[in-house]
Amino acid sequence: MGYPSVERRRVLAAAALGRESGIPGPDPGDGEPINAVAGEILDVSPHLIIIETPDGTEERLVIAPWAKAWHGGDTPPADLPVGSMVMMRTLRDGRVVERIWADTTRITGAILSISGRKDLTVELDCGPHRGHRSVVIPYRATGRLQVRHPKFEPGYLFDAIGIRRDGAGLALLPATSQPPYPARAVPDPPPAYAGLQPRISGTATWSDTFDEEERGAAYPMLERVDTGCPDVGASCAGLPYLALGSLLQIRNVCSNRSANVPVVACGCMAGRFCDRCVECDTSPRGRIAELSPFSYVELGGDLVKGCFNAQIGLG
Amino acid sequence: MTRVLESQLPILVVLLVLGTVAKVSTVRSGGEPGALARLGPAVLVPGHMQGPALLFCAAGELVLAAGLLLSTHTIFRWGTLAFFTMSTYVLLELRRRRPDAGCGCFGEVSSAPVGLRSIGRTALLAGMAALSLWAPVTGWEAATRPSWLMAAGVIALLALSPEIEEMIDRVRYRAPCEQRRGPAESVTLARLRESGSWRAHRDELTSAEPYDSWRELCWRFFAFRNHEQDDVVFAVYLSGRRPAVRRAVVSVEDSGSLPEYTPVSASR
Repeated sequence: MGYPSVERRRVLAAAALGRESGIPGPDPGDGEPINAVAGEILDVSPHLIIIETPDGTEERLVIAPWAKAWHGGDTPPADLPVGSMVMMRTLRDGRVVERIWADTTRITGAILSISGRKDLTVELDCGPHRGHRSVVIPYRATGRLQVRHPKFEPGYLFDAIGIRRDGAGLALLPATSQPPYPARAVPDPPPAYAGLQPRISGTATWSDTFDEEERGAAYPMLERVDTGCPDVGASCAGLPYLALGSLLQIRNVCSNRSANVPVVACGCMAGRFCDRCVECDTSPRGRIAELSPFSYVELGGDLVKGCFNAQIGLG
Repeated sequence: MTRVLESQLPILVVLLVLGTVAKVSTVRSGGEPGALARLGPAVLVPGHMQGPALLFCAAGELVLAAGLLLSTHTIFRWGTLAFFTMSTYVLLELRRRRPDAGCGCFGEVSSAPVGLRSIGRTALLAGMAALSLWAPVTGWEAATRPSWLMAAGVIALLALSPEIEEMIDRVRYRAPCEQRRGPAESVTLARLRESGSWRAHRDELTSAEPYDSWRELCWRFFAFRNHEQDDVVFAVYLSGRRPAVRRAVVSVEDSGSLPEYTPVSASR
């Protein structure tokens, strides 16, 4: 069965159960909204950045004096190379840039093979609908990555943040502490006592496997028959079942922002990670949502940190 | 005296069969290979051997149970004694080497870490097997003549079984419906078709097959088209044999408000 109208599911479900169908987007009561802007750098100076957005328009944005940039390491914004793809956190309706991430990518998956002597090449299984991906770990980053990935061998999970260079992914920073179990042995959620919690806490991460400018989330707890995703439905966070098209209300506990984000993909890989986020406090175990970069940035997340402590409810 | 010797035979047979069934079903349901990693002596063997090791153990138990039930041959009696003695040792070893692992004696129900009670139980079973060594009759004949000693054996075993508490807990603290795996889509669809709401509105639909179906929390939704090309959506509650069914009609242009909301609830 296809999904003729995944967005329509929300309207139909709300009508059948007589509830309000929520509206995707940030919660208006959160103070000044953050906008995420992406594009390719055409020119950059210490105070101004000119980008070409994915739909082909040219945008000129002011760089705030306190703005920081990341391109494999912290750099001044003016040093970013022309032609790199940037993701920016902006204020004032997308006019003032606060934070720039250039060519940033995230590589999440289960290790299939490791080869190489100095620079390591790791082949990863990123889930049934994302396929295999190969990533290079430069020699200078191997120690830093391996110390957070003690089981650096096939069958175990891998999660790193890095940059794209010449079409290949370069892993530079560990995005989490690797869970100690094999990728397929996800621990059971803690027993649920007396009904469902109205809000569930855990960690929210991001992934760059979404469409450009898409605002959405991958959610681990979907029915397998509804999604055609054989690996979905594992999670150690005690999540309720939802469907593609459901609206999740996600709150970033660290920055105190919340937004309604639709479920647009199955989070097979996110469900296998039973890790914590220590961004502002220690979160309970389990990834409860994997956000698209746009949603993640607009909720106040930092791409390089890799996660934020989150609470979800049904939007 | 012979009554005393044979009294524990049926208990041994029943326990061996239970162990076999539980182990096989654990291996079959635990489709994820690593899921066995926290269960029983299987953790002491390498990962890919864990499933076969549990199955081998189950097969051994089944052979012993059949032998005890149907014959008086001493090989089965000694085999049972050896099996339970070995189990006691393995559990002691397991407790020492992997304090986090469950005994796996009855599959995934026995996932609580090995405690003195589990060990005491295998020791008691070994004792029962030793008592039965020279019983003159088969397990089948012994089972036809129940005695107080047999009842005492059962009570002692129940007292030593941590699984009983686990099962009571599972019944008491069942995961809420939202987190349980739901019935198959076809089962829910069949339940919808048995409902009064469906019978009342069946004729409005262009097709009896839904064009979309999805599950959210404890509801499964089926979307159909009616003759005016509006969407007709049925929501079926996932638990219960005669679940609540709700229905709404949403016109195609509409995408927000609730135009013709019909609160058809709990149709019987």
